[in-house]
Amino acid sequence: MSWWRTPTARRYFFGYTLLAPAVLYVGLLVGLPFLFSLYLAMSDASVGSPVARFVGIENFVSALENAVFYTAVRNTLIFTFGAGILKGLLGTTLAFLLLQPFKGRKIVRALIVIPFTLPIAVSVLGWKWMFDSQFSVLNWALSRMGLIGGYGSPDWPVWLGEPGLALLSVMFVNVWRGFPFSAIVLLAGLTSVPPEIIEAAKVDGASFLTRFRKVIVPMIAPILFIGSAFDTVFTLSDLSIVYLLTNGGPDGATEILPTLAYNTGIRGGALGRGAAISLFLFPLLLPAIILLLRTLRRKQY
Amino acid sequence: MASVAVAAPRTHRHKEVRRHLLIYAGLTPFLVIAVFPILWMAITAIKQDADLYLVDAVPFWFRQAPTWKNFDYLFHSTSYGAWIVNTMLISFWVSAITILTAVPAGYALARLRLPFAENLGIGIFMTYLVPAIILFIPLARVVSTLDLQDSWWALVVVYPTFTIPFCTWLLMGFFKTVPFEIEEAAMVDGCGQLGALLRVVLPVSWPGIITAIIFSFTLSMQDFLYSLAFVSVSEEKPVPLGVATELIRGDIYFWGSLMAGALLVGVPVAIIYNLFLDKFISGITGAAIK
Repeated sequence: MSWWRTPTARRYFFGYTLLAPAVLYVGLLVGLPFLFSLYLAMSDASVGSPVARFVGIENFVSALENAVFYTAVRNTLIFTFGAGILKGLLGTTLAFLLLQPFKGRKIVRALIVIPFTLPIAVSVLGWKWMFDSQFSVLNWALSRMGLIGGYGSPDWPVWLGEPGLALLSVMFVNVWRGFPFSAIVLLAGLTSVPPEIIEAAKVDGASFLTRFRKVIVPMIAPILFIGSAFDTVFTLSDLSIVYLLTNGGPDGATEILPTLAYNTGIRGGALGRGAAISLFLFPLLLPAIILLLRTLRRKQY
Repeated sequence: MASVAVAAPRTHRHKEVRRHLLIYAGLTPFLVIAVFPILWMAITAIKQDADLYLVDAVPFWFRQAPTWKNFDYLFHSTSYGAWIVNTMLISFWVSAITILTAVPAGYALARLRLPFAENLGIGIFMTYLVPAIILFIPLARVVSTLDLQDSWWALVVVYPTFTIPFCTWLLMGFFKTVPFEIEEAAMVDGCGQLGALLRVVLPVSWPGIITAIIFSFTLSMQDFLYSLAFVSVSEEKPVPLGVATELIRGDIYFWGSLMAGALLVGVPVAIIYNLFLDKFISGITGAAIK
């Protein structure tokens, strides 16, 4: 009997047939487009013209010659790392609070994850209204507390209209959306540490700090990595917060690589240049992706 | 002796009360920050315009009776009804494509002991991490080649690029928990591989399949970039894009209707997502726990 008629061969054939649709779909609409974006980035493709000319690294060079590009890179880094650190701190605090047994824990948890579960465009619109230059409810509260003057006074903050404040505001919305995710991921990690292990460490006379460092941290480290890697990918690639709140303004103060890529590639119609700009995100994404890959692969063995 | 016995539970109870108070005190700022924006949006959605734009008035009170006219405006003066229909149809087709591809793939990866199965699984999952912001420009070309620009069908084609990887991964984990015996028993009874899958494994797998449908829906609802880049005709937009782009005329914002339109769809999505959040988290961290 030839090999391809053995049960094993038939199982393989059956298996790869079942896999084919998913692999093809993802290959055709993620894999190929990714390669295609490398090609586009080296062409002068535009929305209007179907024919594109090969221009080599011209698009990358022209991106690097543009002052706005550097602002966008700088803002992207501040935005991602600043917000990442804040989400980490808030998420850890919240996770340890939610780890305690207390009455109403389920309800509290359900309420606290709302920012993450609400569609992002929806909640950003809510924030846009709360950051309104005149009717901001935040300003009303600050003003009533006596921290700022009334509307029209010089210390009345125009959240989305002043460069420093605008960057802070878009970061704040990202943190608001992301901290429940950090907390829940961490909580999942913490609850996966079997209490017996912690008890055993206690019996062995390990202090809280030692237990934390030697037992809890190594056990939750992989999940922490995964959580922050996902969060970094979400944050780096998210355009909606900045697009809807400030669209990069005022005066480029909140321009990030995603908004620059969108405005150049789709609005401006220069697909090639837009693709080149978005590819500059890739080196920033790569560490997160490698970290994830290593964590996932290590766990197999 | 008796007094000690009474005192012990009391101090215990005091301790418990104090512990609870401390935890609640710690949680309050988080709760306020998480929930306040939603409450504020809800208040805005049912306020009359004249009541909304007052700088000095307490914004949480109603000086004029609450109103439904912001909701009326959505359905009578915008294409909100069409956006809801579009959203539903997009979700339906995306779910269908996702289930038809991810269920067989997840099953094959989990159960058929294929060579390279684990690496293939990781490979498919990694495509979930190639972000929209890198793919949207080449996909714009794909969409225009298929002649789907300015149609919600563009989104039906594009959304499975993230729902298939995620759901395949999720279902792979799920199928690993279905006991091998039931399949073997079916095959002993004369079912082929396919027969065992269709008649025995799928009927016990509906919780996993429903979860995958829910995520096809909630993950599609989280998109903004693809719809913004590919759909600019009002009648073809899904709800999040429609609300974010059509209720703003120049620099005039229809805040009442904006909040009404955002919440009307946002709240149900948030509730459904909330119920399935643990599955989402264990889906993406699955490989790291245990």
